[in-house]
Amino acid sequence: MIDSCSSVSKLLEKYFDQEATDKERLLVKGHLQSCPACQHALTSMEGLRTLIKAPVEEAARLEDFPWIWQKIDREIRSQEKVSWWRSLRSWMDISPLFKKKVWIPAVATIAVLLFISTQVILKKIPSYSETSVVEYIESETYNIMVYESEKTKTTVIWLFDEEDQESSRS
Amino acid sequence: MNHEETQLISRCQQGDQEAFKEIFDRYQKKVYRIAYGVVRHREEALDIVQEVFVKLFHSIKNFKGKSHFYTYLYRMVMNTAIDHSRKMGKQIISSLDEEGSFEPSEEIEKWPEKILLQKELEEKVNGAMRKLPAEQRAAIIFREVEGLSYQEMADAMECSIGTVMSRLHYARKRMQELLKDYVGPQGQSNGASNLLKEEGVR
Repeated sequence: MIDSCSSVSKLLEKYFDQEATDKERLLVKGHLQSCPACQHALTSMEGLRTLIKAPVEEAARLEDFPWIWQKIDREIRSQEKVSWWRSLRSWMDISPLFKKKVWIPAVATIAVLLFISTQVILKKIPSYSETSVVEYIESETYNIMVYESEKTKTTVIWLFDEEDQESSRS
Repeated sequence: MNHEETQLISRCQQGDQEAFKEIFDRYQKKVYRIAYGVVRHREEALDIVQEVFVKLFHSIKNFKGKSHFYTYLYRMVMNTAIDHSRKMGKQIISSLDEEGSFEPSEEIEKWPEKILLQKELEEKVNGAMRKLPAEQRAAIIFREVEGLSYQEMADAMECSIGTVMSRLHYARKRMQELLKDYVGPQGQSNGASNLLKEEGVR
């Protein structure tokens, strides 16, 4: 009986879980007829199953699943609202260039270059914003216009000898 | 996986929310049972159900149909539930005042002592479950709660049938040691006696 028990005990769980073959099933069944120890082991397995399963079944029986669905649906919809931002972020994460986070110094460098070049361009363009016309004289030979700039202390005298000819002196 | 379910999953993959609701209706209880089986706590189990279905909504497009859908889903539930269980610091302290993990039926309400005993027993089982390693806990829940076959468990846990049997064996052994006063002929259940009778034993 002891030998039989040790060999059957390995099959007992398969038998209990209904995973045993027909041959194994017959062997266990025959053994159980005359072995109180294996009968006890089988009873213990069934008892354990009940202890584990019963509270879970009871909890599931009492649960309100439509209410859970409403929560899930709300969550999915709220996530969809920010999906455009997430897709931008994921694109930046996927892109090998942006993955290395080189975009932070790159953007900073571009911003600095843009600022410097803007300053240079603005200096090259003469600004007459602070220039004012002091005098305008019309005559038969020349038309004269006098400008004065306070900032650069410059005086510009513009001579118009004909309609299509202009000259200036400063 | 049957043709109808394949169609349903295909619709979900195209972003059809009605199809996704059908998936939820089909699997809600199973997902909840697995989650509750792991954490043994109502609020936590509900959080897991929500997290799993939101995750599933976004990841279902990655399901290629190489395995059964339910094993794919069960794996996701089990991993999420075990993560939650770890985050909870393995200490879910429930009390008799706490709303939730067990609601007595009208019949039990007539006998407060029975409620106390039931609560105490439930706490013992919960405590014993928490002492199991995650893989063994997964094995015993898949088998005892969901009734999965060894092959289905192996698919869900991505391991061999031999590993499944081993995890299940050690989980049962440990649980029987921890709950020795509650299982067996003197314990609550007489289900095995019925099984023995059905088989013509005794």
